[in-house]
Amino acid sequence: MATDSIRTLLAEAFPDASELDVEDRTGTGDHFQVTVASARFQGLSLLEQHRLVNEALATPLADGTIHELRIKTKGGAA
Amino acid sequence: MIDLSSNIRQVIEGEDVALFMKGTPHMVMCGNSMRALEALRRAGAPISAVDVLPDPAIRQELSAQSGWPTIPQVFVRGELIGGADIVEELEASGELERTLEEKLGPDYRDEREERTLAVTSFAAP
Repeated sequence: MATDSIRTLLAEAFPDASELDVEDRTGTGDHFQVTVASARFQGLSLLEQHRLVNEALATPLADGTIHELRIKTKGGAA
Repeated sequence: MIDLSSNIRQVIEGEDVALFMKGTPHMVMCGNSMRALEALRRAGAPISAVDVLPDPAIRQELSAQSGWPTIPQVFVRGELIGGADIVEELEASGELERTLEEKLGPDYRDEREERTLAVTSFAAP
C-alpha cells in the first residue's frame, strides 16, 4: 500500500527514471529503500540528488508514513 | 528559558563534525544513526553527537534549519554533508576523508574524539 504510493510519488517526480525501485525493507510498511536512476541527477552532488528524492517524498516523510528511508540514486556521474 | 534554535545553530556552526542522531554513540537507538556513526568512525572523524530523542522539538528545529527531513544529519564545519546513505557512500569512495582533510586540516585524525552534546537543558549528558 505505502510502497505503491511512494512509487507513484517518485514516478511523478522522476518521469524520466530509467530505474525506480521501492522496497519495504522490514515488511512493516514504514521502512523503505528507494532506488532512483535519473538524468536529473547529472552534475548534482549526492546531497542535491538525495534532496530531490526527499522533496518528492516530503508528504509521507512529514506525516510519519515513512519511518525510515534509505536512498540510492544513480545517474549523477557526468 | 532555553533557546533551542540558537543552541542547535551553535552546534552546527561551532563543532568540527556534528552528528544529530537517535540515541548517543554509546547507546544508538536507530540503524541509520549507527551507519552514519560507523562511517564517521572509519574516516577517523572527531564526532560531536547530539541525541534528538529527548525532545521532538530538537528534530523539528534541526530540520527547519537544515532543510533535511530525516535523522541522522551530519555537518562538517557548518555544512550539511547528508544522512546515513550519503555519509556511507562518501566514506566508501574516500570522499568523506578528503572533505574532512580539506575542512579540518590534514591532521584531523589526531583530534579524534567522541562526545555527546545536549541542546536542551533536559537532555541526558
